[in-house]
Amino acid sequence: MPENFMMTKKTKSIRELHQELLEKKISVRELCNASLQTIKEKDGDIGAFLGLYTDAFFEEQIKKAEEMFAKGVVTELTGIPFAIKDNIVVKGEIASAGSKILEKYKAVYDADVIEALKSAGAVLIGRTNMDEFAMGGSTENSAYKVTKNPHDLTKVAGGSSGGSAAAVASGMVPASLGSDTGGSIRQPASFCGVVGLKTTYGKTSRYGAIAMGSSLDQIGPFGNSVEDVEIIYSVISRVDKRDSTSLGEESRTFNKKLTKTIGVPWSFVRREGIDAEVLANFEESLKKLEALGYKIQDVTIEELDKTLSVYYIIMFAEVSSNLARYDGIRYGLSEKGANSIEGYFLSRTKGFGDEVRRRILLGTYVLSSGYYDAYYNKATALRDSLRAEFAKVFEEVDVIALPTSPVPAFGVGEKHGDPLAMYLADIFTVPVNIVGVPAISIPSGKTKEGLPLSLQLIAPHNGEEFLFTVGKDFEKVY
Amino acid sequence: MTFSEEDLEKLAVLSRVNLREDEKTKMLHDMQAILGLVSEINSTTIKESTTSHALFNVVREDIVTREGGALTEVLLQNTPEREGDFVKVTQVLK
Repeated sequence: MPENFMMTKKTKSIRELHQELLEKKISVRELCNASLQTIKEKDGDIGAFLGLYTDAFFEEQIKKAEEMFAKGVVTELTGIPFAIKDNIVVKGEIASAGSKILEKYKAVYDADVIEALKSAGAVLIGRTNMDEFAMGGSTENSAYKVTKNPHDLTKVAGGSSGGSAAAVASGMVPASLGSDTGGSIRQPASFCGVVGLKTTYGKTSRYGAIAMGSSLDQIGPFGNSVEDVEIIYSVISRVDKRDSTSLGEESRTFNKKLTKTIGVPWSFVRREGIDAEVLANFEESLKKLEALGYKIQDVTIEELDKTLSVYYIIMFAEVSSNLARYDGIRYGLSEKGANSIEGYFLSRTKGFGDEVRRRILLGTYVLSSGYYDAYYNKATALRDSLRAEFAKVFEEVDVIALPTSPVPAFGVGEKHGDPLAMYLADIFTVPVNIVGVPAISIPSGKTKEGLPLSLQLIAPHNGEEFLFTVGKDFEKVY
Repeated sequence: MTFSEEDLEKLAVLSRVNLREDEKTKMLHDMQAILGLVSEINSTTIKESTTSHALFNVVREDIVTREGGALTEVLLQNTPEREGDFVKVTQVLK
């Protein structure tokens, strides 16, 4: 059996795998079979996958990738196995968003990012576990199972894209896609010790992403390195007229030059609740960047402390609107009632889990007459001023650095049942979605216990290239 | 800020979800805690000068791009119940 990305000590990069495919050291089929084999061996313990895509689809993709190699019209992703978060639709395959209400839902079209991966010749292997409708930070809200952390099976993989993060971290696939509404790519990437990218809002199309918070959601890649994530980003980031918030060509330009200046909002970082090892690791990461010639500068972002509340109010509101579509009539779980309205109640009650119903209720509350001004309007106004605050800071610095998460991966069951404790753990990731800027989570070491820790870098709108440049520099010293 | 069980029940009706008797107490407690946190912004004063109004509506002309019926079969593939080219629902008017 040929050597593959799972069987060596050092994980192989997409470029290395591509080179081996080009030189015929390994075939597309062998590479993808090796991926399936690793899933078979490891996924019983980890639980990263909710299901593999159908055999017919697998075969079709292998054949297509082989043909691309035969014709010499390959891309760097041709033949590379991918795992896809269960809220991204793939034509003819189940996409359940981790929910019982969509348990049998078979997608009738491809998401734009899936079309992009298919055109590049990537081989989509299966769909990964997630918190129901991406609502959670541990996959414990999945209607199906909990994804365990590959570094310690008693800990969570993070969430909501925990399955996609764990699949890469355990070598089941070299790359995967997730979605990030308030940290759902970056936090599990951090917990599992892989790289995760949340793109500028509008850079990747939301067409085919099962909606949670439409003004916050972005699809993005997981990989073993900044370079891998950059390669995937270059393929999935494109203009799509089917998503009304997709950025047009003219809105994707970025002209800033790197000045090697990094901003840190110290008063925000040194807060109650941040784990001592996380803080020490973060300080150490900044020292390493300083040694590479980066200047670290304290920055102040007004009202940053309130971002968590702004985020939750806006997200609840969007959740309650978006999930109104699940009516048990057109698609999804359908429970018959004595009349039409009763069927609606029964389908939604049986189909939605506790956290989903809680967020729908909260969203209905903040949007209701009498509370709308105090919550939703206030939150959107604060969101605007936060955007302006970030823009001001980005006049002085190239990127802002924060830890990805205030704590390392927590125990399975530790926070489950305490939604507020779970929400508070999102403190460092949600500002990025509120402002709509890109951010990357990069492994920065481990705790004494051996759990991964990460550095988060945040760039101005369209500044993904800053994240890649600084990120690759940082990887050299780790 | 008070958020009562009565409020919760009213919201459940508006949200088209039922609450189990055994979960009401915990749901109420959790929602009170969450609303207790996020209501910190109720009293915030917004500096009008700093707002950027980055969110705006995107509209387009309503133009027919496909032949009528081209997607009927596709759209009906996941329908729990259908009759011909229609989605079948429980009778609304008696």
